[in-house]
This record gives sequence, structure tokens and C-alpha cells, in this order.
Amino acid sequence: MSRNRVVIGVIGDDIHIVGNRIMQLALEESGFSVYNLRARNHPERFVQAALEVNAHAVFVSSLNGEGEYWCSDFRKRFSDVGLNNILLYVGGNIVVGKRSQEEVVALFKGFGFDRVYHQLSDIRVAITQLKEDLKHGQAKREGEAREN
Amino acid sequence: MAKPSAKAKLERIEQYREQVLSQPLAKGISPDEVRHYLAKLPPGRYPQAAYSKPRCRPLIQPRGGFPLVEAQRRLTQELDAAGADFIPLTIDSYTRHNQYDTAEQLLRRSKNEGKNYLNGYPLVTHGYASTRELYSGLNKPVSLRHGTPDARLLAEVAIASGIVEIEGGGICYCFPYSEGFPLDRSLLYWQYVDRLCAVNSTEAAPIHRESFGPLSATLVPPAIVVAIQIIEALLAAEQGVTSFAVSFGQTGSVIQDIATAHILKTLTREYLKMFGFESMRTYLVYHQWMGPFPTERTKAAALIAGSSVLASIVCADKIVVKTVDEALGIPDPWINVDAVETVMYMCRTFPCPQPFTSPLIEREIALIESETRSILQTIFSMPGDIFLHSVFQAFQLGLLDIPFSPHADNANKLISMRDGSGSIRICERGNVPICDEDAEQERTLLQSNLTRSKGSEPMYERLLSDINLMV
Repeated sequence: MSRNRVVIGVIGDDIHIVGNRIMQLALEESGFSVYNLRARNHPERFVQAALEVNAHAVFVSSLNGEGEYWCSDFRKRFSDVGLNNILLYVGGNIVVGKRSQEEVVALFKGFGFDRVYHQLSDIRVAITQLKEDLKHGQAKREGEAREN
Repeated sequence: MAKPSAKAKLERIEQYREQVLSQPLAKGISPDEVRHYLAKLPPGRYPQAAYSKPRCRPLIQPRGGFPLVEAQRRLTQELDAAGADFIPLTIDSYTRHNQYDTAEQLLRRSKNEGKNYLNGYPLVTHGYASTRELYSGLNKPVSLRHGTPDARLLAEVAIASGIVEIEGGGICYCFPYSEGFPLDRSLLYWQYVDRLCAVNSTEAAPIHRESFGPLSATLVPPAIVVAIQIIEALLAAEQGVTSFAVSFGQTGSVIQDIATAHILKTLTREYLKMFGFESMRTYLVYHQWMGPFPTERTKAAALIAGSSVLASIVCADKIVVKTVDEALGIPDPWINVDAVETVMYMCRTFPCPQPFTSPLIEREIALIESETRSILQTIFSMPGDIFLHSVFQAFQLGLLDIPFSPHADNANKLISMRDGSGSIRICERGNVPICDEDAEQERTLLQSNLTRSKGSEPMYERLLSDINLMV
């Protein structure tokens, strides 16, 4: 069976790379094929890469909080090119300033993300949930209520 | 064989400078006027004056940069009064990436709104006239701290302003700081900076260059640091630079700190001599912990105090200091002053007249030395005529590989972790040309002592805890 393909990268002009590299190693160690866009990516790059490798999931990260600015129409960008069922995840320190966890999660779910990991340092949780979500298959994504 | 050679000196630097200085942002810098200005600069403004005074502790270098000239002047006065031996000028990140328009806009907003919108001093935007004025009356060297792959204009403005210590290098200011600036161009632009320093130097008053050894400051094996430091010293020597500091960041292991300092000092001398550059003066700079800092000020203060003792023990010529607010953001001047005073107190209280050794340190020195020699030897014996090209190719082939570099051209095949004593060990060497025996020894040392690890957790969890050693 072929491995599940995940596109990862840091969004915006953010160059914080350590977490991104750790995510790559963690996902590879957990059996995924990882396509790493590394630092400084605008949203189109994620869409192009997802198309190119026919990705099962996209994992966007942000440490300097630029996430909010860049992610506002994230889901739409994927559905515009026909990638309706792809899983979208976001994590790191995704907004500027101190905001409540609930507020940030609601904001990014509104942008179309399936899972939101704001200031949660345990990568293991994200990987376990990614594996679970993939078990259900991408097709079941739509209409399915997901919670964190 | 592409060995370092004085023949690689940039030709026609005068015409090249004309081209760089013709842009409006140079604000009419004239090479002749700059030479006259530098000749009149007080001797105390040159790093050589500080480095050649007898001393029983490392010289102290804080960091710091604010957008407005006034704030920078206050910081300078306070650090000077606190006894800092070097005065910093940290440059904002837009200027570092040649985005001068943005730097100018944000400088204007900072002025109008009384709030800092830049994380440093936009030197190119301020220009040399007001920066000369900023430092009038100062009798200590100012050090340019930045992270700029193309620093041609920045270095011109710095030198015209009387800032005669320039940190950086084609590798160390590209791979750790940029995601996509082409390395070959960065290397060529730093040839310009090195040559510029050389043509503005006199025997009594050389423009001093310093390399940035911490690199990504994340689990970088000492041999990689030492090899890159020596390469940058050689590249600078090729252009005629006569005063140079090699540096490294606190490794997290006392043994590795002492061993790295020793081998960095001796191999730099050896390789300079090998290629006919023995007249270059070299110094050793130690960076306090450059990795993730504790957020609690008490812990941060303890870390700063501890690493000051280490700077003493490794017999560094200079220590670059952190502040208790490192994890939180840009420190207020008084926080910076506190850091200078703490480091000064610790270095005075714990002097170390000469490096000491032990069997463990000797073993570490032998290992780092052997690895560094194989890496450099491989690069020196690559085909081609120009050393700079070999250095470029070395990165393309992954012979040099910097863990956690954000750069798209970094190989990322080398994986390193900490052993039980906290020393950084090469777990997978990738294409880095270290011999089988050394690779085997690294693995054995990594496995021999698993006190830092349960041995069963996934690799990424172990890496995270190794990176966050001091938090």
C-alpha cells in the first residue's frame, strides 16, 4: 500500500524552520510521505504542491502569527482547483497577540481547516488525529463535524 | 585543485564600488572622503585597540538596535557607561533583506507614532552622516550585527559611518538567515565586502571582520562549525582582510565547548599558514547560548552567568551576550546593561589564564579535528580553479550540511542529537565526508550513554528535548 502524502510548510514571510523540520521527521517516522515546502510560502504554493503530488493532507504552520493574515480563504483556494476533499491542518503560533484557544480554533475552522493546533506543542496529538482522519478517507471529510 | 589563493582577489574594486555607490541610497559616499575620515577616527574606535590591550577576561559585546537615532544613542551611552568593550549596531530585518523601501516606511511610522516598527537600526535609510554624528565622542569600536546575504551597500554605509567591525560572511549570513538567497551570489557579494574592508584598512588600523559561527544554533556539530569558520577566514584572507575573528556558539556541553575553542583556534592558524595568509590576525569569539532561552528571568539570568564562566574557561577573546529577555523579545536598554554587568562580574570573578584539558577533552579534540580535516581536505581537492566555487559546490553536494538551516539548498541529510553528557553527536552523516571510524565513534558515543533518553521514544521527541536543552 502506498504511503499517505502530506504537504507541509511555513506560511507567510516567516522563516522559523526548526518546528517545520521536526514535523517533517515526525511525519516520516510515522510512515507518511512528506513534501516539505519549508519556510516563506504564500498560500498558492500549498495549492500547487497539493495538486502536484495529489496530496491527502496539507499541514500549514506559522510561528510569528502571520497565519491569520494568509489563511483567510484557504479552503476556497483548494476547492477552486477541484481539491474538495483534501484535509487541511494548521498549527503553531498562528495569530498575533494573546487570544483564547476557542476563538482561534473557531476562526481557522471558519477558514476551512479541519484541525487547528494553536500553541499546542505535542506533535503526537496531531499525528494521531491525522491518521484517524485518513482512516475515514478524504471523501468523508465534507459535512462531517470535527472537533479538536 | 581549488585551493585558497591571494590570486582570487576581486579585480577592479574601484569600478565595482562606483557602481554600488551610484545608487541614491548611498547618499554620495565618496571613497576618498571615507578614507580620510577613517584616518582621523580615534584609535579606540578600532577593534584592534580593544583586542591588543592586556586583559584577564574576555571582551564584552552586547547586542542592540532601535529604529530611531535618539534611542540608539541612549542605548550606546548606557552600554558604554556599563563597561561594554564593543558597542553593537544591530540592523533591522528589512534592511538585512535589502527591502529599503519598507524599512523607510516603517522608520517613518516609528517616528510619527512613537512606537518601534523595526527590530533594529535601518542603517542604509539613516545614512552615514547621521550615523557618524550618533557615534561622535565615542572611543570604543562599533560592531555591525546583521544577517545580510547582500551586504555591499550596508557595509559601504557602515564603514563610511566609522563602523569598522563587520560581522558576517557568504555562508554564515546566507544559510542560517535566508530561505532562498542564492549561495553563489551571497559568496560573491561577501567577496566585495571583504575586499572593501581590505582596501579601507591600514596596517595600524585594519577594518575587522568577524564570522558568525553559531549558524542555525540548533544541534550543529562542532566539526561543521569549525570547517565553515576556517573557510570564511580563508575567503576573507583571499581578499586581503588582515584582522578576523572566528566564532562559535555555546554547544550545551562543557567538554565540547573547550574542545571546539581549542581546535577552532589552532586549525584556523594552521590553514591560514598553509595558504600563505599567516599575517592575518585572528581572534576567538564565544556566543552565549543561541538556542531557545528560558522565559523565566531567573533561569535566563543563571544561564547567562553560567555561560560567562564558560567564555572564561575556553579563553575567548570576546563574548557576545544575551539578556534575560531573550525569550520575550527585544530588551530594554536597562535589561541590556544588566546583562553586560552580570557577564563582566562573572568573567572577572572566574578568570582562567589558560585553557585546561583532560582525557575526555583530548578525545573530543581528536574527533573534531579529524572530522574537520576530512571535510576541508575533500573541499580543497575538488576540481576547479577557484576556492569559492568549491565552497559553493560543497553545499550543493551536501559535503557541508547545516542542521535546521532554513535555506532551500541545504542538504538536510545530516542528523545530529545529544549524547548523555549533552554533547552534539552526528547520528547520520549524510554526504558530509567524515571517515567511517569517526562516524562509528560518533554513533558509539551517542549510544553509550542513554541517560538523556529512554531509548524508546520517537526520534523527533528526542530532537525536541535536545533542542530545548536550556528551557
